[in-house]
This record gives sequence, structure tokens and C-alpha cells, in this order.
Amino acid sequence: MKKEYTEGRFLGRFKSIQSAIFTTVAIVLLGAVLIVTVVSLNYTRKAVLENSTMYTQTIIRQMNQNIDSYIDYMENIASVIADSEDVQKYLSGDLDNTEYRRRLLEQFHTILEGRDDICNLGLVRADGKALLNDGTDTVNPNIRMENLEWFRNAWDNLGISVLTSSHVQHIIEGERPWVITLSKGICSRDRKEKPAGVFFIDLNYNAIRELCDQNTIGDAGYVFILDQDGNIVYHPQQQQLYNELQTENIDEVMQVGSDAVLTGTGNSGKVYCISKSEKTGWSVAGCMNVGKLLRSSRQAQLIYVLTALVLMIIAIILSSVVARNITLPIQRLRDSMAKVQEGDFGGPDLIVTSENEIGSLTSSFNVMTHRIEELMEQNVRDQEEKRKSELKALQSQINPHFLYNTLDSIIWMAEGKKNEEVVLMTAALARLLRQSISNEDELVSIATEIEYARSYLTIQKMRYKDKMEFQIQVDLSLNHVKIIKLVLQPIIENAIYHGLKYKETKGLLVVRGYRQDGNAVLEISDDGTGMDEHTLAHIFERHKVNYHSNGVGVYNVQKRLQLYYGADYGISYRSEPGKGTTATITIPAEQEEYHEEL
Amino acid sequence: MRNYKKWMIGILVLAAILLGGMGISGYLQQKNPKKWSLIYIPKVVDGTNDFWTSLIAGARTAADEYNASLEVTAPDQEMDVQRQNELLEEAIAKRPDAILISPSSFTESEEYLKKAKKKGIRIVYIDSYTEEPLQDLTVATDNLEAGRLLGEYAAQLIGEKEGKIAIVAHVQGVSTAREREKGFREGLGDLGQNVAEVVYCDSQYEKAYELTNQLMEKYPDLVMIAGMNEYSFVGAARAVRDEKAQDRIALVGIDSSQEAVELMEEGIIKGVVVQKAFKMGYLGVRESIRMLGGQEVEKNIDSGCELVTPENMYDSEIEKLIFPFNSSRKETETS
Repeated sequence: MKKEYTEGRFLGRFKSIQSAIFTTVAIVLLGAVLIVTVVSLNYTRKAVLENSTMYTQTIIRQMNQNIDSYIDYMENIASVIADSEDVQKYLSGDLDNTEYRRRLLEQFHTILEGRDDICNLGLVRADGKALLNDGTDTVNPNIRMENLEWFRNAWDNLGISVLTSSHVQHIIEGERPWVITLSKGICSRDRKEKPAGVFFIDLNYNAIRELCDQNTIGDAGYVFILDQDGNIVYHPQQQQLYNELQTENIDEVMQVGSDAVLTGTGNSGKVYCISKSEKTGWSVAGCMNVGKLLRSSRQAQLIYVLTALVLMIIAIILSSVVARNITLPIQRLRDSMAKVQEGDFGGPDLIVTSENEIGSLTSSFNVMTHRIEELMEQNVRDQEEKRKSELKALQSQINPHFLYNTLDSIIWMAEGKKNEEVVLMTAALARLLRQSISNEDELVSIATEIEYARSYLTIQKMRYKDKMEFQIQVDLSLNHVKIIKLVLQPIIENAIYHGLKYKETKGLLVVRGYRQDGNAVLEISDDGTGMDEHTLAHIFERHKVNYHSNGVGVYNVQKRLQLYYGADYGISYRSEPGKGTTATITIPAEQEEYHEEL
Repeated sequence: MRNYKKWMIGILVLAAILLGGMGISGYLQQKNPKKWSLIYIPKVVDGTNDFWTSLIAGARTAADEYNASLEVTAPDQEMDVQRQNELLEEAIAKRPDAILISPSSFTESEEYLKKAKKKGIRIVYIDSYTEEPLQDLTVATDNLEAGRLLGEYAAQLIGEKEGKIAIVAHVQGVSTAREREKGFREGLGDLGQNVAEVVYCDSQYEKAYELTNQLMEKYPDLVMIAGMNEYSFVGAARAVRDEKAQDRIALVGIDSSQEAVELMEEGIIKGVVVQKAFKMGYLGVRESIRMLGGQEVEKNIDSGCELVTPENMYDSEIEKLIFPFNSSRKETETS
């Protein structure tokens, strides 16, 4: 009971199963599509981030290796020169126009020729004298070597290559390029602990830039390099950073070491992939803008959303189709049932389209409809039979009173020696009887019926000699029109017994027959006492059966007429008290075969 | 029931449209906004002048970054007001969204700027301004502050020494010259009364050189010469070097160049206040774009300045300011 109630609450909102199914299926499908879309959108976001991070990490690591091997290469150059005999000689010996000086400059020249990425290189002696590039450059007279960071570091860390961050090199007079300096302190041959000079290579800043730029990590990000102290070695927006127009999360990058880290939230967040080199101490960092990364996935997301939209529309259509497919047979069944309910069995059989529950329901319904139709037809036939037998029963009641009275009249006439009249009356009675019993058919022609009435009237006229006269005026064309028998006689009898009998003067009874509006009309008029309205209104009621007459009565006739011809036909009365009564019998002039058959 | 179904479908379709709309608008939002066209007219284009070079580099960087088109046209001479006005007229004819200008004259460009304003072109002042405030936006060094910084440093250099102070300014009447001078005097404090003369070199090295020679002749007890821009103090420094007066006369100035750096290394120039030229150009363009985009921007933006002395000039914080970090490193190498 409770369950039904909850069910009712849910399904009760829907007035049709179709909309219930449609709504449910649509909600389920849309929900599924939505969830899948949201999940895949999120997954895309995550996947894009993860993939980009992985990809960038690989690139950054690769880049770090490139830088390491690049620095390695430069260190090798530094080592080759620093370890050479000529260097020692230069550092310890005379300066000008010596063989080793020439050889060193040649070596320098060769290196410079071969590599664009080397900006300057040179050998600086402890006393501040130096051998620079091809020998034509002079040392900036206004500097002190110990103030130069790269010189100091190399001096203090003998035998090890040291690397600066990006800085302005101003050892050469008139030149101040931004470079990265690799320097190596050289100890003197005889006293190992004491530095004798420093060899340096200035790496063109562009070389680092190119290294960073050639491995682009796409539009979404950039690469920058920090030295071990967090100073910027290279950054694509170095100038802006120096002018505090941009900021970079240097502290965070320095903290992380070699890893990837996400800073910020949402689309404004940044992903940093960092690789720290053991060799240089530099951190190569790739920075990707999450918003820009996701923009590249936005196309995919747009496609997802569009696909989801299409799927949703399909889902709506599909659920509508499914709902209709399920409920259409049910609706057909319902419509068909409604027809059957109204008694229309004429519709064609429902087509069973499926073998599911509804299919079997439909075929059951078809079987059931046929059964009902058969039963109904059976019923109609039975009713017809019943009606027929009733009709027969009604018309077969022959008038014993009349017979008795007539025979009585004949006796009286015979006793009165009125032979002619006896013959006439007996003949009429004989005709009457013959007609009433001879014909088994229900239908007779109007002519026959009129003859019957005439025989009856003849008898009655003789019985009520002074009381009545009769006339029969029937169109000849009506002669062949069929009518159920024993219709006229009871009406006439009624007219005589109720109309003329009580009339003090001689009465006249007229039987007319004519066609009107496709009907055959028989009128029985008397000029008897007539009826008041009350009597007229109750004339067809059963209790008005006149037991003194043939026992059939107007009710009987009316019933038979209407049973046979339908409610549109039958007898109608009009009457005026004191003036007479007219009974009008209307039957169809052209009768259907159907009735003929009966 | 029909109604309910229609209602349901309606809601679903609405939701679908909404979702789609969101997606599409989200996608469209990613499209670049309008590309603004800007014209910048500095006082001079001079490859040797680091100030203007950096400023223009900054402007170009910002224009690239914010996807605006930037055209830079300038006279060859800083004093050439007439030429600058011609360029201004040409710029107006091109109907850019905004004209960025560093007016060479305090008064003589106003009628052109008014004309530009009438045509709906936004005016942005960079570095300098005019008497009548016609600009929508100004990005400049606080010249008063730069002068004061220099004055305070100068006072420190002079210390107890007695003697006269001379000022070599660039162009008479120009806002920057006036304000720097005012700030310099303020920074000097009591020593301000020792300022013997202010001369104008019209932003020419030769004229500054000659004027300085005259000053040194005129005031034998000169202890300090202050140049109000690069042309002024570099010209003055050349004169002082040639006279070998660097121990007697302390030379300070505003702005920087490679020659100024060399002179500083040599010890002839005792200190300079550098403007953040790159930042100024960058901010000028960036703020113009933001203003054109309808964003709220500050009307007066100070790009800042910094005191550079021979001692701190190779500190990593300072070298970033005085050695332009140009992308065209290789070109300058070869030149």
C-alpha cells in the first residue's frame, strides 16, 4: 500500500507513460552525457597539465644536459690552454714579442675564428697585464682586476673552472658586453699554491639565449636559467625583470630543486619544471602558463562540449523515440479499447509488432475483441429470434370474444331466419378466419390487410346495423406495399368500440390509404365520441388493452409496428371530443430486403 | 502533459544553448583584443644615447608583449622642435589610437597636440610634458626627485670645500631641465647659494664643452659642475678631462651613456643619476594600451631613478640599469 503510494507520487506527476519514460530516459541520458563531459573536461585539463609537465621536464633536462656539455666543452678549451707550456711561460716570463706569446695569440685566434659564441678570451697575469683575444684589444686602464668577480673567484679557487652569472664584462677598453664568464685560475709551475694568472672565456650571451630558445616549450611558456645564488643567468624578459616590470618566482624555483611545481591557482597559475645541474649549479626552469596550456586544450574542450551538445540532442530525440516506441502500441491499444468500449468492433485488428508483453497483450486484446464481437452478434441474433417469436406471439392472439360474439350474432340471425345475412356474415367470418390463419407469413400486402379489414367491418356493420357505416378509400398503388398483418383490424375495432359504439347517431368509419413522403399512410377516421386529451395521452399504454375486443389492443399494434419498422413508424392519434378520432398508421412504402427476409 | 513535455524540452534546449554559449564565449575570449596603433615621438633618435635607446627598446618590448603596433619617429637633433612638430602633424594624419610624445618644447607643440585631441587621439607624455596639460597620461622620471638625489650626492662630494657650483642644463624652458635644476638646488641644501651660473648647451656636446671651458675660466674656484642631461655632463666632462681638472672639479650628471660610463671609470665623472629609461618606455606603452582598453590607470607614473657612482656601477643591481640589455648584442659588437 505504501509502495503504491510512493509510486503514485513519482509516476503520478506524469499523465502519460510516454512522458514518464521520456523524462526518465532523458534525465538519465543527459546526466550521463553531462557527467562524462565534465569528467573528460577535467581529465583533459589534468592530462594536458601532466603531459605538458612531463614533456617540459624532458626538455628542461635535455637543455640542462646541453648546457652542461656546452660548459664542459668550454672547460676543455680552458684546460687545454691553461695547461699548456706557453701559458706558464707567459705568466712567468717576459711579455713582449716572444714566441710563446705569438703561439698563444694564434691559439686564441683559432678558437675565436671557430666559435661565434665566444665573445672574448684572455689570459690575465697577476700583475694585471693581460693577453686578450687577438692581441689588439687593450685592458681597460680604469679597472682593478681584484674587483672583477670572475677574476677573484678563479684566483681563490685554483685549478677549478668557475662560472659567473650574466654580467657586464669590462676588462677590455671600450667594450662592455653582457656575457657569462668561465674563468680558471692557473697556479705557477714552481710554487703550486700560489696563483700565477687567470684564463677566462666570455660566453656570448646570445649563445645561452639560443640554447634556451632552440628548445622552445611552445607558446605557453618560456625557459630561464638561474645560477646557484638565484641570480638570473638568462631570462627572456630579463630587461623587464631588471626594471621590476615583471616578477618571477625565483625563491620558489630555488627551493624546489629538480622537480615540477605548480604555483598560483586556476588559469593564472604557472607550472615550473626545474632541472638543477650538478656541474654548473645552475637551475634551468621551464615556466608554463596554465591558462595558455589549457587554451591549447580548449579546442579539444570545445569539441567535447559540442559533442556533448549533439549527444544531448540525440539523447532527447532518442528518449522521445524510445518513449514513443514503447507507448505507441499501448496508445493504439488504448484507442482501440476506447472504440470497443463505445461498441465499435468495426476497426481492423491491431498489428502485433513485437513479441514483448505489449505484443501478447495486443494479440490477447485482438482475440478478446473477436470473442466479444461474436458474442455480440450472437446476442443480436438471439434478440432477433426473441423479437420474432414475440411478434408471432402477439399476432397469433386471435380474438375469441369477437369470434364468440360473431357466432352469437349469426345464431341470432339464423334464428331470425335472415338467411342472406347469415350467409354474408358467415362468409365474411370465414374470410377473416382464413386470412388470419392461412398465411404463415408475417407480412401481407396492404390489399390483403384491407380485405381483412373489410371482412371485419362487414361483420361489425351487420352486428351494429343501425349504428355504423364504413368507407374504404385506398390508393391502388399501395396494394403491393407490405405491412405486418393484423394492424388495421385492431385499430378499427378500437374505433368501433370506443368511438362509434357510444355515439347516439349512426357513425361513419373511413379507412384511407395514400402515399406521403415515401411512406405509406393508412388513416382510420371515425366521427364517434372522440377522446379527451387525457385518454389520448394514455392510448398506447398496456392497461388500455381492450379485453372485450380481440385482446390485441392498440398497444400491441404499436409495439409490433415499432418492433418491426423502428421507432419512426407506428400509429399516431388525433382526436377531438365529440367530433371523432383519426388513427394514422405510417409505414415505409419501400421496405428493405432485410425485413423481407425475416 | 504536452505542456510539461514542452517545458522539459525547452529547459533542456536552454541548458544546451547556455552550455554551448559558455563554451563558445570562453573560446572567443581567448581571441586577441583589438590591436591598438600607437605612434611614439621621442625627442631624438640617437644610437649613442643610451637613454633614448633604452626608452625606445622598452616601448617596443611592451608593444610586442601587448600586441600593439608601435611606430617611432623622431628628429635627429634633440633641439629640433620644428621637426618634432612636423612629425607630430604627420602622426596626427595617420590617426593612431594614441600619440606618445616626449615634447622637446614646453610650449611650441601645444597647438598640434590640441588638434590631435580634437581628432580623438589620446595623448601620452613620456619623459617630458608641456605647459598646458593636454595629456591623458604621463610617464616620466620624477625629475624633481632625480635632481634632489643628485644634489644630495653633490653636497656630500663637496663636503667642506669652498667654491662655486655651475649647472650645465640642456634646453632652457624644457620641463625636465627646470625641474632637475630645482631639485638639484633643493638637494644641495645650504650649498645651493653657491650656484654661480646656469648655462644651456641645447643638448649638444660641443656647446656643453665650450660653455664648460668658459665656466672654468670665469670661476677659478669652481668645485662642482652638474650636467642636467647626458649631452650636458658628457660635454662638460670632456672639457674637464681636457683641462685635467677632475681632481679639482667634481662632475655629476643625470642620465648615462657608454661614454659616461667610461668617464666614470676614469674618475672624471663622480656620479650620475640614471633614469629607468627602459621602464619608462615600457610603462608608457603598457599604460597607454591599458588606458585605451578602458582600464583605470594612474595619470602620473613615476618610472624612478637611481644614483650610480664609480664604486657601485658594476654591482649587479646597477649594471642592469646603465648597460643596456639590448637584444642586438652582436650588432653593437661589430660596430
